[in-house]
Amino acid sequence: MPQNGAIDFAAFFCENRILFRLGRGFPVFKKVLKRILVSIPVLVGVVLLIFIMLRIVPGDPVTTMMGEHVNPVVIEKIKKEMGLEQPLYIQFFKYVANALKGDFGTSYRLNRNVTQIILDAFPNTVKLSLLAALVAWIIGIVAGIVAAIRQNRLLDRMFMGCALMGVSMPVFMTALVLQYVFAFRLKWFPVSGFDSFRAMILPAIVLGWNSAGSIARMTRSNLVEVMQDDYIRTARAKGLREHGVILGHALKNAMLPVVTMMALQISSMLSGAVLTESVFGVPGIGRLAVNAIETRDMPLLQGTVIFTTVLIIAGNLVADLLYNVLDPRIREGA
Amino acid sequence: MKKKISLILAAAMTMGLILTGCGGSSSSETAAAPEAGTEGSGQGTETTAAAAVGTDVDTTGFLITVLNADIQTADVQKTSKDYLIPMNIFDRLVEIAVDDNGNSSIVPSLAESWDISEDGTEYTFHLRQGVKFHNGNDFTAEDVVYTFTRMLTAEGTVNSEFIDQIKGASELLEGSADTLEGVEVIDDYTLKVTLKEPFAGFLACISTAGVSIYDSEATEAAGDQFGLDPSVTVGTGPFKFASWTYNDQLVLVRNDDYWMGASALPGAVVKIIPDTETQTMMFENGEIDLMDLDYVTDAIDRFLATYPDQIISGPRVGITYLTMNYNIEPFNNLKVRQAVQKAIDKQSILDALYGGRGQIEHGIFPHGLIGFNENQTQITYDPEGAKALLAEAGYADGFTMELAADSSASDTTTMALEIIKEQLAEVGINAEIKNYDQSTWLETRKSGELGSFLATWTADYNDPDNFIYTFFGNEEKTKIRSINYPDKEVMDRVAKARAIVNEDERIAEYQALEEKIIHEDASWAPMYSRTHLFAVSKRVQNFVPVWSGIGDQFFYGISLSE
Amino acid sequence: MTKKNGGADMLREAVQEQEFSEDQIRESDTWLDQVKTLVRQNKLAVFSAILIVLIIMAAVFAPVVAPYDHLKQSLTDRLQHPSAAHWLGTDELGRDVLSRIIFGARISLTIGLVPTLISMAIGTVLGMCAGFYGGKIDFFIMRLADVMLAFPSLLLAMVVMYTMGGGLINIFIALSLVNWASTARVVRSQTLSLKEKEYVEAARSIGVKKWTIMFRHILPNCLPSLIVLFTLNIPSAILSEASLSFLGVGAQPPSASWGLMVVRGKKYLFTEPWLSIAPSVAIMVIVMAFNFLGDGLRDVIDPYLKEQ
Repeated sequence: MPQNGAIDFAAFFCENRILFRLGRGFPVFKKVLKRILVSIPVLVGVVLLIFIMLRIVPGDPVTTMMGEHVNPVVIEKIKKEMGLEQPLYIQFFKYVANALKGDFGTSYRLNRNVTQIILDAFPNTVKLSLLAALVAWIIGIVAGIVAAIRQNRLLDRMFMGCALMGVSMPVFMTALVLQYVFAFRLKWFPVSGFDSFRAMILPAIVLGWNSAGSIARMTRSNLVEVMQDDYIRTARAKGLREHGVILGHALKNAMLPVVTMMALQISSMLSGAVLTESVFGVPGIGRLAVNAIETRDMPLLQGTVIFTTVLIIAGNLVADLLYNVLDPRIREGA
Repeated sequence: MKKKISLILAAAMTMGLILTGCGGSSSSETAAAPEAGTEGSGQGTETTAAAAVGTDVDTTGFLITVLNADIQTADVQKTSKDYLIPMNIFDRLVEIAVDDNGNSSIVPSLAESWDISEDGTEYTFHLRQGVKFHNGNDFTAEDVVYTFTRMLTAEGTVNSEFIDQIKGASELLEGSADTLEGVEVIDDYTLKVTLKEPFAGFLACISTAGVSIYDSEATEAAGDQFGLDPSVTVGTGPFKFASWTYNDQLVLVRNDDYWMGASALPGAVVKIIPDTETQTMMFENGEIDLMDLDYVTDAIDRFLATYPDQIISGPRVGITYLTMNYNIEPFNNLKVRQAVQKAIDKQSILDALYGGRGQIEHGIFPHGLIGFNENQTQITYDPEGAKALLAEAGYADGFTMELAADSSASDTTTMALEIIKEQLAEVGINAEIKNYDQSTWLETRKSGELGSFLATWTADYNDPDNFIYTFFGNEEKTKIRSINYPDKEVMDRVAKARAIVNEDERIAEYQALEEKIIHEDASWAPMYSRTHLFAVSKRVQNFVPVWSGIGDQFFYGISLSE
Repeated sequence: MTKKNGGADMLREAVQEQEFSEDQIRESDTWLDQVKTLVRQNKLAVFSAILIVLIIMAAVFAPVVAPYDHLKQSLTDRLQHPSAAHWLGTDELGRDVLSRIIFGARISLTIGLVPTLISMAIGTVLGMCAGFYGGKIDFFIMRLADVMLAFPSLLLAMVVMYTMGGGLINIFIALSLVNWASTARVVRSQTLSLKEKEYVEAARSIGVKKWTIMFRHILPNCLPSLIVLFTLNIPSAILSEASLSFLGVGAQPPSASWGLMVVRGKKYLFTEPWLSIAPSVAIMVIVMAFNFLGDGLRDVIDPYLKEQ
């Protein structure tokens, strides 16, 4: 799940090779098209899965919505208006048809257009995730490089430990502790909110640190591997200084998988955002999803899930392209 | 190669910076910090653009308060819990006022005065003249008729029960009539309301936020955007609904033309902060002026110690009770129910979880409610007596029961269940805590099949009817509370009591019924009513918590020093 | 294939492109050699392993190790500061925090182990089937895996928890459902390359049953990767449960997991910080220990990353 590098590692483990193969000899356009085509059944599957899961939920959305003062006549009336009386498959097809037109329905709870709600919240999550990616990248790469240079020595352990710490604490706890120290005690940042750059820094650090561990780990192991390669040995033999060697040659190659992995991390990033947004009061898409789950707001939940899924699939696509652009073997081999 | 990587990374970073940069400049933390000297934040110099997109309200000098979840709508006919905005942007025909001795009474608001017929079925309201809605429209009797009609006909209406005593209300609700028979416009400022039968609680009912008066023209024009789009959500109240950024904040600004005189407060910002520790830190940092300490029950001791002068204590006309479902064995046995009543040490729970801040309750009507009976039978903690009762009932070896926990309830409620479980274990009852999510909990409860649960009922209007009728009014009412009280004769009396015109007689009847239901029949285990505490910043003046003890507050009357 | 459809064809082609046959499997050293290498190279991993064993022992023998009954309330002794009697103080109901952490290890470790085992078992079987049979089966399984991977995992787990309600069993189901897909992918890709191996081909040619080949020849060769994935998945499950607890759908009181203890304790962050810090540290220690062990193991035993 979100906090740990294992999944990213596994996903990367395959993706990397898949991408490598896919990249060979295809014009980029055709490949993009192909990837998109593969994504369609995935997307349909996601919609179907969430649709079915939400329909077998035991609670009745209308009862939950209405709270205490309720009249049974009214409940029946609302159910009819929502189309909940129709067979499941009709509801599904209607939904898909509307979704294709960009209409994800009306939120039960908020009685507003789901697309609009999501689009309002989306920029905040994007800002948070981009900043967090930057943080993750800095912490992860620095720790990874230092650890690789000092492989299996104290410094290696310390830096890796530091990078891994962000992944090892429950995100909400990291958030609270950082918030307590830097916002509350030191007053460097506002405690909550997301309406100024200063307010964004802490949430971004929390979320970024959470992803830094896997990047550090990947950077380290790739660097260690690459440094054994012949051409690095050659460079060393040519008398380049150690640091020059690493930064100049090894890093370049070791970065490839790391760059792609960052795109693949969107999924775990979004999961982490759910928690970070709650603690820091960021009005983002993660909180929408939690709201939606808690209130059984099916249209809103479907909307957020589909939206994030599209994002994740797009992320994978970008990873694919980046890899293609960056990998010299692929380009030269073509 | 290297160039390319750095190019792409640079591009990514710039993109990030541009995006975040935009956010940073278009809106900035207003805070309007109460303690202006707070180190390192420099709010004073930053521009104060409203944080909400699309509004340019200057929120300097506004009261800042907090909710832990955003509201659904400001249309109070469609929510039974989000009263904060409606309370402040609308008015009611009448309001509740509490005097210094804690006695509450019904006072005029949009209705200047009213006459009640001998038989208690006809109410003639004389409406206040010269009152204007935020859009400039005049308030007239037509608006009241419109409001009542909409309460019974609008899609998704939830508060219809507050006016279902009006003649013709049920017909309109069910669709067999298209006008509300019981309301009659005499002239623009006189309105006659006829009830089905006498109902002494009627005025109290229409004092609730749920019966806020809408502008017929604006509300009709707003359609389903009423309550959602601030610009079309207009009332006569002391504040106007200025903006709403979902999951972020709601902004109210002063209505300068308010009929009672403009508020001292230029406006209020309601921030949505789900995490209670974050709320606490914000309060301590001076980022919040008014905070409901119900959200942080466990930190109240600390608040009291740290900010002794900034804690405002309010009443809570609400009773916490533990149910025992008659339909679940062995709660059909009177002795078992009595044993449970005796097995719980209410005082120790109140002390442990709420620092003893509250009152032990023994019946249905809590402290502060009209009809509260000081002299009723007491239910005292008596584990030995409970064991003896269990033995008499044939459960000397105890039995297993369910404590149904609602996962959306506060942790403190869950803790109370844990303590109750422990206390029941001492008399040999094996209580198992079963967790339900909110939805399932509610649905199971409404089907009448939920095990024992702990909940609090807070007054909607100050009348015993609001309590006893809700739980023991008729078969359906007691079923949806998962109590399943079987005595139909008693329930008939509860329903009939509504129509007793003589106030003293009515209260006496309610107290007799309370004695019967709780002390003779042991139909639930009354627990306690808790004091409701609020923390305010140093600059907040004249904050008076609402009489009923709900978390939503009136901002009118509050002022900020400086 | 009777009908040819441009789109579908392209799809299939795209999917088949994903197969790779690079022969990377190197015959492994004996496990003893590997342990020796690990001990020599990576003291941290060894230390982590010892720590994990100790924590497991403490959990198993909790009634003996714990100083108090972890469920015994004492309302007069609420929220006591750490002392000689209560090393980590007492919680909001007067229960000994240290004892609760020791007992909590049982639940947290179970949450780490059980869903991981289930999800990896599912993932391994599906991954092997996909890799071995190929074709439509492969397509179907891998698209299903894609669907699972395309979900933000925490949301999916939350939806499952809401669908089925709280409780330990449902946490197992939620986390298993969420996590099988990544294992399936790893196993599938390894199966694809192993399938081409001479001994597998030989076995096939003499008519050994497919299932036998899968479990006799392919599974053992996937084991190193699976072991590594296993050690890395456990802490991830423990953390996921903590997140679910934070969102109100995790383990349920009164027998608390570490995650739930953190969530319940965080309300006392300002006055009794040990209530949330202590279980947080417990989580952090075990998560890091598993991570270091996993990294160490990968360096030593996983042929995929070892080949140079």
